[in-house]
Amino acid sequence: MGKKYFYTHIIDTSTLSLEIGNMDLTPKERLELISLIDSNIHHEILDLILSELKPEDKKNFLIHLASEDHDKIWKLLKDKVDNIEGKIKKTAEDLKKELHKDIKELAD
Amino acid sequence: MTQTHYKDLSSRWRARHEGLQKRLWNKHRESLEWLSNNYRQLVSGSLGGLMLLAGQVSNFLPSLHTANAQTSIVQEIGKKTFLISDLAKILPEDVKPLGVEEEQKISDILSRTYDIKVTPELDGKRLNRSYGIIGAEQHLVRFPGDNLSSHFDSEEDKKLYWQQGMAPGLGAWSYFASSKEALTQKDKDREKYYIAVQTFLSKDFNSKFAEYRNFYKYRKMLVVNPNNGLAIVADIADAGPAEWTGKHLGGSPEVMHYLERFDGKQKGSVLYFFIDDPDDKIKLGPVKA
Repeated sequence: MGKKYFYTHIIDTSTLSLEIGNMDLTPKERLELISLIDSNIHHEILDLILSELKPEDKKNFLIHLASEDHDKIWKLLKDKVDNIEGKIKKTAEDLKKELHKDIKELAD
Repeated sequence: MTQTHYKDLSSRWRARHEGLQKRLWNKHRESLEWLSNNYRQLVSGSLGGLMLLAGQVSNFLPSLHTANAQTSIVQEIGKKTFLISDLAKILPEDVKPLGVEEEQKISDILSRTYDIKVTPELDGKRLNRSYGIIGAEQHLVRFPGDNLSSHFDSEEDKKLYWQQGMAPGLGAWSYFASSKEALTQKDKDREKYYIAVQTFLSKDFNSKFAEYRNFYKYRKMLVVNPNNGLAIVADIADAGPAEWTGKHLGGSPEVMHYLERFDGKQKGSVLYFFIDDPDDKIKLGPVKA
């Protein structure tokens, strides 16, 4: 199974997948929750990146994103944003904590 | 988790998602509209781009109210699909020894998926690795006089597995039975579903030879092809392959066939973890997710 997004290799969502996997859900329900995790992370990361880039760079980034050219995305981001990998990882980690908290709160 | 919990979680995460989407559009509307107006065709062809331009969550998430065609696709997604996806997120790009944390996560995933308790370490003993390249082994002689003519239970098995031939020597634990008459179904299965692992590369193997030899003898392992989710309960019946081969374990013809793994240029990786089965309740052979 291929990597879906340009950042998939630096983000580990397996702890959330494991929690979802342990729940008594139908495959459809599990897929829905996992899709929600994916899309929440995706939007947080895009917001982070677009907030860091200048208008012209934003456009180039969006074109690379739409054409799924991961090499060009990373080249652009590494040229234009300091420690972009660290920032993406932190954004994802913060959101993961929130999502774990949601699971715990609703299970209690 | 009850249905209420699931619905609460789903609606909370949907609400969070809608909030994120609104925030993204409010902050970066100009750039997103520019993309939409100029590259709509390109955007609609990519998942990442499509998610950006979707107006509502239900446009691209598998909602509970999806159309019939979409629902049928979703229902086909079972445990095996989740397994492949989960493993892909954890496994390194290269086939190399896993770290302790990776092994723990994978143990959890495999135990949950196959409902079999697996572990990289059992009774304080572990192999040199739990993720490696598997090569093809030959059939092992089960009793004195066993050969290709006496080896198969059916014509179908004979057709499928004759050409792999018999290994010239005995397995690591010698014969499986003392004679053809003494051969039990358990002995047959032990040969049929055997793997060869690099027992000799275990830490302290040489200094605790007898202890390790007894531990490894017919020890059950879950062997999983991470690319297709196929898994089999196998037993250790031989030692090998040599380090210089570049392979890390070997599978009997039946194991390789089931896992859809091949030798040579097409060789691929498997995960192999000990099965914690003190009462010997788990049968050897293929297991379903």
